[in-house]
Amino acid sequence: MKSRKKSWLAFIIILITALFLNLPLLGAIFNALRSDNAIASGAFVWEFDAGFSHFQNAMGAAGYDFPSFFVNSILISLGTVTLVTLVALPAAYAVARLGFGGPWILRIAVGLRVIPAIFFLVPFYIMFSSINLIDTIWVLILVNGFTNTTLALLIFSNALAELPLEIEEAAAVDGATVFQRLRLIVIPLLGPAMVAVAVLTFLFTWADYLFAVILTASDATPVTVGAANFVTSYGVRWGDISAAVVLSILPPLVFALFAQRFLVKGLSAGAVKG
Amino acid sequence: MNQTRSLEARRASWILASPLLIFFAALLVLPIYLGLRTSLSRDRFSNPEVELSGIENYVALLGDPDFWESIRFTLTFAIIATSLQLVLGFLLALIFDRNVPGKKYLFSAVLIPIMIAPSLMAVMYRLLLNENIGIVPAFFGLFNIEVTLFSPNALFPLLILLDCIQFVPFTFLLFYASLQNVPDELYEAASIDGSSYAETVRRIVIPLLKPAIVVVILLRFLEGIRNFDVIYILTGGGPGTMTQTVGIYIYKTAFSQGDFGLAAAASVVLVLLLAPFTPWIIKRLSTSEQQ
Repeated sequence: MKSRKKSWLAFIIILITALFLNLPLLGAIFNALRSDNAIASGAFVWEFDAGFSHFQNAMGAAGYDFPSFFVNSILISLGTVTLVTLVALPAAYAVARLGFGGPWILRIAVGLRVIPAIFFLVPFYIMFSSINLIDTIWVLILVNGFTNTTLALLIFSNALAELPLEIEEAAAVDGATVFQRLRLIVIPLLGPAMVAVAVLTFLFTWADYLFAVILTASDATPVTVGAANFVTSYGVRWGDISAAVVLSILPPLVFALFAQRFLVKGLSAGAVKG
Repeated sequence: MNQTRSLEARRASWILASPLLIFFAALLVLPIYLGLRTSLSRDRFSNPEVELSGIENYVALLGDPDFWESIRFTLTFAIIATSLQLVLGFLLALIFDRNVPGKKYLFSAVLIPIMIAPSLMAVMYRLLLNENIGIVPAFFGLFNIEVTLFSPNALFPLLILLDCIQFVPFTFLLFYASLQNVPDELYEAASIDGSSYAETVRRIVIPLLKPAIVVVILLRFLEGIRNFDVIYILTGGGPGTMTQTVGIYIYKTAFSQGDFGLAAAASVVLVLLLAPFTPWIIKRLSTSEQQ
């Protein structure tokens, strides 16, 4: 029986689970706050004697390229969010309201999930090297835009299906064109869906490693590739590496925690319905 | 009037959909064509001349034991990881689905791994498991247990565990969201009828959650097939080719050995292996759309 009493047993089980699931992050924060001496002398030496020096090093004081990776990740993620919204929202309206393509566009969008991203590795490399786009942030905006558009299409069409038709019909009777209805009536009502698309696209784009590793060399390298290379190139500077990783995790984490309601709705709607 | 409106709607729908159509043409149709053509060509870093070579790459691929081994490893990994994440995510959702103190904060805390890039997670795993400075080896050291986490025997379970740390939160989230649709009255009615909690879960909750279960299996399995980042960063597919996923096989064939033709053939075969399930997947994922 599901009890309404406070369940402290459940509390303890979940607390332990949450700590375990976040052990990697807690460990990185722990090391980022300790000096390299403390780190080297043992995992359980509780001396937080580094202040923010590791964070300052990661953000440029020690001369790593990390700050430019960070800027790249931000530009790529924001650019992708913009591109995905501009491509998917009008198309979803055409599909859901104007019957464009019958059921086929959405079926293709669902079916595309079956093709692993790795399939596009070689073709994308060949395509983008032939037009000299390799190692620019544009190439990653395009590629991530493509991989995220299908989910955005599904989220927007689900959201449109839940909007009442009456207001749009009334506006149409009053002579509003399709574009006016979209701009003045539909887009303002799609706010929650737009946040859901933005937060999911931001997360997935920030997380991209596979395409970044083949399509960038140095100028457009994002934090994911930068941090993974960091471990191999500066193997013993554990404190700086930890700080760099913690900083790399922060932007999507903060965005997602603030928009958690939309993240949960988007992930479960996009996943369950997509 | 009606006619002009539908004409206007048709014109508008083409204009509104055109960015998507251009996108699909440039980033879906063209790459598929290029992938197929490359798979039928001799295209290597060592030789600038690209020439059509028929099914040569496919013959080489199907005779390459490393390829089949990578398929076997990928499937085993995806099946075991999916099953564990299904069960653990469901149990966690059941435990969560009651009056837990501090629920809001615990919920956010459990979801945090979803918000972390797998490759960054992999870097943190390396710090956590490092034999000199890692917390995990140090913890075992307290009990004088010496662990070699990256030894061949421990490697597979370790990679599965690390995959669970990142993706149990995701399966948990999907199950928890669908549990919210099970009305409390159902539990009450069942308990009045003398049904125990375990019986209620087995006979009522699980059947009600069947659509969510199917979706979780599909999504996790499809994601599991494309596993790359964490394993590549932690082991590079090694030792030898022991933990080589199909993704790592394709990546290495193309960018370490420089054989684009063979890598493209492997990509095509991978999609062909998954293709028979596509209509079924579209149906499963689209029927739940109407609910």
